[in-house]
Amino acid sequence: MGLADSGLLQKPAAKPLTWLLNYSRKYSIWMFQWGLACCAIEMGAALASPRYDMMRLGVIPFPASPRQADLVVISGTVTDKMAPAIRRLYEQMPDPKYVISMGSCANCGGPYWDSYSVTKGIDQILPIDVYVPGCPPRPEALIEAVVMLQERIQNEGIGNDEMRKRWLGEPVNVG
Amino acid sequence: MSTTEQPMTPGFEVDPAAFRHLADAQVNVELDTGDMILNMGPQHPATHGTLRLVVRLDGERVVAADPVIGYMHRGYEKLTEFRTYPQVTTLINRIDWLSSFANEVPFVHAAEQLMEIEAPPRAQYIRTALTELSRIATFLLFLGEMGLQVGALTPAFYGFRDREHVLNLIEAATGGRFHPNFNRIGGLKDDLPWGWIAETRNVMKIVLDACDVFEDLVVGNEIFQARTRSIGIIPGELGASYGVSGSNLRASGVDWDLRRDGAPYLAYPDLDFRVFTHPDGDSFSRYWVRLQETRESARMVLQLLDGMPAGPIMAKVPRIIKVPEGEAWVETENPLGQMGYYVVSKGATGPFRVKIRSASFSNVSILPWMLRGVYVPDVVTILASLYFILGDIDR
Amino acid sequence: MADLATLTSRITDALGDAVVDQGEARGTLVVRVRPDAWRSTAEIARRSLGFDYLSFIAGIDWMPAPVVGLVEGDTSTPAQPSDMTFGVGGSAGRFQVFAHVQSTAQHTGVTFRTDVDEADPRVESWVSVYPGADWHERECWEMYGFVFEGHPSLRHLYLPSEFEGHPLRKDFPLLAREVKPWPGLTDVEPMPGGDDEAGEEGAA
Repeated sequence: MGLADSGLLQKPAAKPLTWLLNYSRKYSIWMFQWGLACCAIEMGAALASPRYDMMRLGVIPFPASPRQADLVVISGTVTDKMAPAIRRLYEQMPDPKYVISMGSCANCGGPYWDSYSVTKGIDQILPIDVYVPGCPPRPEALIEAVVMLQERIQNEGIGNDEMRKRWLGEPVNVG
Repeated sequence: MSTTEQPMTPGFEVDPAAFRHLADAQVNVELDTGDMILNMGPQHPATHGTLRLVVRLDGERVVAADPVIGYMHRGYEKLTEFRTYPQVTTLINRIDWLSSFANEVPFVHAAEQLMEIEAPPRAQYIRTALTELSRIATFLLFLGEMGLQVGALTPAFYGFRDREHVLNLIEAATGGRFHPNFNRIGGLKDDLPWGWIAETRNVMKIVLDACDVFEDLVVGNEIFQARTRSIGIIPGELGASYGVSGSNLRASGVDWDLRRDGAPYLAYPDLDFRVFTHPDGDSFSRYWVRLQETRESARMVLQLLDGMPAGPIMAKVPRIIKVPEGEAWVETENPLGQMGYYVVSKGATGPFRVKIRSASFSNVSILPWMLRGVYVPDVVTILASLYFILGDIDR
Repeated sequence: MADLATLTSRITDALGDAVVDQGEARGTLVVRVRPDAWRSTAEIARRSLGFDYLSFIAGIDWMPAPVVGLVEGDTSTPAQPSDMTFGVGGSAGRFQVFAHVQSTAQHTGVTFRTDVDEADPRVESWVSVYPGADWHERECWEMYGFVFEGHPSLRHLYLPSEFEGHPLRKDFPLLAREVKPWPGLTDVEPMPGGDDEAGEEGAA
């Protein structure tokens, strides 16, 4: 982003501009259309079913490629075999990118905590913004996670230093 | 091709020259190129989950295909050795995560056989009703999403919308949209809520209407027919030797349904239902068979509601479940195919060994044979029509 | 469904002296055959007896599992008996391979079992008879270490290629449980009404 790199957004006069840029970013999140396991079905129900329609929040699951996605939702069990692939998919996403960890398998290994082939939580390999507990979490819980993420995005600074500070922030738990 | 002289495809040691005659001879002479290896997955919009297909292509035709599975392998069979029987029930309904209730049934039945107790008739009827409801939920998703894989967006929305009604019912009875954990060894956790039977009757009417919509919208569509007829033919006997089961095998003309032909379980002996087969064995027939089975499941649920007996829903079981020593094999007709559990017990509170026979594992093992000589877009159609769930393949 | 006795006699007559023992497991016939007759059993089953459907091939390890971190009186972790006993039909040792085949026309099924030597676990492969045995035997090799002779390519099916060990063997430890043992029953709250029946099924 040219504005951020050139330092124009650091000045205090740029606050309304930052607010506007964040506002437009948070309501046009492009979500990576990809799910791993059972939580992916709930994610599909949250997005595609007319009852829990998440597209009204601006979250459109168009991209089937990570190179055009802003948000990835890790929905399902992460196995040791799949973990390098997930890391590679995450690195293919352009900045600024967000990760929601959905379901207890992605949070901490879940019901398979003692398995020999399950990674105990995706936060071992990716930085997470929002954790959604549940097995599987209801679509409403995922919608709340997205709303919380949108609040986070709204309050972000988008100067270069602020962006780096984001990675040191605390993740949000959906209550 | 005779089924006994199949050349095995161990990997890529297939001589591509054997398939040269399939392509146009003139084009082949002028544009003779090397083969390309295409990697589909483990992240791919068309594979249903983390399936990886490594295919060697000659132009647009597949010469050899090697599915790489295991990206969702969670080690179920080892985990069951460290859990008590009720804990195993919690775990195994995540194998086939679309029709979760149906996964618990054979295991609980095996444990009840070893303990020599029987769930009361009302519990059997409710279990059957919930199994058929989860079958309807899975098949509605299949009917919608196979249209999506072939290129039509609308059936997917219809499928999800009608599935919500059925999930509502399952949630009203069990408390969870899927992964209900409702089975207990000896019966069920709770009785049905007030008004559930009337609501189910309404929803079954909606389901039957939805099936008519799918018949008009998808089955009658000539583009759909052009894309699925004669694609991915499985000969019946070969399919059986690979272990292909369920609607896939019935679509190849083999008349075998475990609800009617296997050892009696749940309330199926009391029901009157038809089993559908199709002689073609291609992707279209697999879609057609599942559509008819959805209708038949709705009618079965209506029969169950009409004949629901009164009574307790739980047999007398001790507080701590200790299953006596023995072995039991129970197989059921799950939505994906034949699912079975071979439970070996040594008299403890947990099983000694549980062999989980999952349907999609065998259904997908026929892919190396089936994908030879197939065009790349037809690979997507075939994957959609076989209808596997990754959790069922990888366990 | 055919009568179990008729089925038993048909199978034992066809197999002859390959049969070591047989038994019944809750309505399913289990026939234990000699290890060197494993493939010929499959051929007879498919060609003469009409069992055209292969359900599964799996292994079993009869060694009792070592118990880790078990607290006295804890009902949420199972404790297996510590002596080695065998199942239907007996066994010569620790390892066995068992397979279930069915007939789609006659609606019957049978489980075949054979012993596998512990020091040199080799089994004849069924791939030439049932093509679907390919993946089942790869899984069996991966999980137990049985080498199937005649299999075109025995390689990893589920696990990453760098995985060491054979997980379903009883001496393969579940390290997560050893590092931090399952805490047992916690949060036992009495249900409204008095008794604490709710607490007996520990959470997974």
